[in-house]
Amino acid sequence: MKKLLVVLLAVLVVMAFANLKVALLINGTLGDKSFFDSAARGIKMAEEKLGIDGKIIEMGYDQSAWRPTLEDIADQDYDVIIVGTWQMKEILEDVAPMYPEKKFIIFDTSVDYSLGDLDNVYSILYKQNEGSFLVGALAAMITTSGMPKTNPQPIIGFLGGMDIPVINDFLVGYIEGAKYINPNIKIIISYAGAFNDPAKGKELVLAQYRQGADISFNVAGETGIGLLEAAKEMDKWAIGVDSDQALAVEDQDPVKAQHIVTSMMKNVDLSIYRALKLTIEGKCPYGKAEALGIAEKGVGIADNKYYRQIVPKKFRDKIKEIENLILEGKIKVDTVFGMSRKKLDELRNSVRP
Amino acid sequence: MNEVIKSILSAQFFYSVLRVTTPVLFAALGALLSDVAGVINIALEGLMLMSAFWGVMVSAWTGSAWIGLLAGVTSAVLLSLALAYFHLNLKTDLILAGIALNMFASGSTVFLLYLFSGDKGSSSSVKSYVLPNVDIPGIKNIPILGDILSGHHVLTYIAFLSVFVVQYLIYKTPLGLRMRAVGENPNAAQSVGISVKRIKYTSLVLSGLMAGLGGAFLSMGYVSWFARDMTNGRGFIGLAAQALGGKSAYGSMWGALLFGAAEATSYTLQAIRIPSEFTNMLPFIFTIIALIIYARAKIMQIKKIREKQTSHEEVGL
Repeated sequence: MKKLLVVLLAVLVVMAFANLKVALLINGTLGDKSFFDSAARGIKMAEEKLGIDGKIIEMGYDQSAWRPTLEDIADQDYDVIIVGTWQMKEILEDVAPMYPEKKFIIFDTSVDYSLGDLDNVYSILYKQNEGSFLVGALAAMITTSGMPKTNPQPIIGFLGGMDIPVINDFLVGYIEGAKYINPNIKIIISYAGAFNDPAKGKELVLAQYRQGADISFNVAGETGIGLLEAAKEMDKWAIGVDSDQALAVEDQDPVKAQHIVTSMMKNVDLSIYRALKLTIEGKCPYGKAEALGIAEKGVGIADNKYYRQIVPKKFRDKIKEIENLILEGKIKVDTVFGMSRKKLDELRNSVRP
Repeated sequence: MNEVIKSILSAQFFYSVLRVTTPVLFAALGALLSDVAGVINIALEGLMLMSAFWGVMVSAWTGSAWIGLLAGVTSAVLLSLALAYFHLNLKTDLILAGIALNMFASGSTVFLLYLFSGDKGSSSSVKSYVLPNVDIPGIKNIPILGDILSGHHVLTYIAFLSVFVVQYLIYKTPLGLRMRAVGENPNAAQSVGISVKRIKYTSLVLSGLMAGLGGAFLSMGYVSWFARDMTNGRGFIGLAAQALGGKSAYGSMWGALLFGAAEATSYTLQAIRIPSEFTNMLPFIFTIIALIIYARAKIMQIKKIREKQTSHEEVGL
């Protein structure tokens, strides 16, 4: 009887250890159809395949609530706490050193490790520049391809939420990808200055289309959804971002989905799953930032039915080829991080009409 | 650069000016209707947001955009009635109550959105309906003018028609006279038997009606879904546009058009090598300049009147 009890206890202890307790703190709300939803998917995936104990906590948009919530959660018995986006960076830098026994993961930005005491934080960055390189190349091919909805002018568009590094990292890749295909490409670059104004996003992109662009890439959160509407209204092409936006809208608006050639995916879900898997295996590099690119499936192009229907095979093959060249290191995509403002301006001005 | 100038001179540009102006114009008229009765309706932003939300939701449930519009406007009117009740019956501070309602609208719409659609960002998972665009038969065929004036959203036409209606209401009807009287001097109005409270209620309801139409335009025409905080300051810009235009509906319209034109210009200018921070600032720079010009003109006017008065007094002496 005593033996049985010991065995039972041992089993319980093992189970308790196997069940990694993970909290995902979302500094906003679910339902953004991209970033936060994708992170939640990653947790679900890890629950199913790795048997973790996941909890998703929506902190809302009131920034003053974020720090106390993070501290509260860190006080509880979670093993790993996941947060995301640049808005959580400084908060995590303050909170993580107070809980050295906890592990923290932050996605889509990196904490400043030179501050010290951050050995328990693993930062996931995405090589959005690599993913954007692919869609930039695709846009440059489509704009002069003579496909329906295009004009002969080599002009493409870019809609950014704000003029900030993460957004500009997309832009740099997009520009370089487009120039890789066509050195004379022109890109109309618009920043909305807000992430929650779809009407403004739509208006900005209508202006782009009026000025000769026939395809545009949205990197602007809710504002960017306005680009999809503009594409539908003017019968032009659109490129989605972060998650597969064609699949996200096809149920409600199939016509709109048919205007979205593909989406540049930041695979937040896969990266969180990967990080948790590495954590369980004891191989996750806490205390470091890692940039996940095409090689780690951190970014990629949405290979859905619209992509295969709309984009001719030779273009898709070319994209595959570019993907391999990046994998092999034969194409090096620049990143905005560490780039001087002057160099960024030069790059931007080199493609402005 | 040539492309930009060509784009600004195109019919489509002027068409877009009218579209950008529409929500601001509704808000400005809403601001005007309450301002003449001496109530500053700071809650316009929240009223618009509320209407944008209910318009989408009810149109999705009923399958009719018009019923959606009705519901949206009703929700805005109800909310402005609440503002009136707080201010006039419970004697709360108007500005504080307005700010509270704005926050309430922002939070409750996200909450209800989640309740009804399971999403918290936008209603794009809900199949809602939009109000139609309208071609004007005669004008449609005139070459450039037709492209600018025809084919707009039905609420865009209603917005510009409302300008005349509001102007008529304020300056040509007994109700308008009472509203102005209450706005200028409530005590005097009361002394001649006008119920100040009732007039203020009426003007806030009318103000809510306008804001409701503006909100519905955002989610049922401009774009076809509701997004969290999608008004993004348009209610406040409407207040500024009205301040620009003084107590006349035409003035409010010109104020709103100035905003619309500046905004549309800033969209087009982004294509060339101007920093986006600057182009995004443009509408506000225009406003400040316009306000300075307006204020100077006003001061000059007052000075002239004073000079006249003093010279009269001297003669009288």
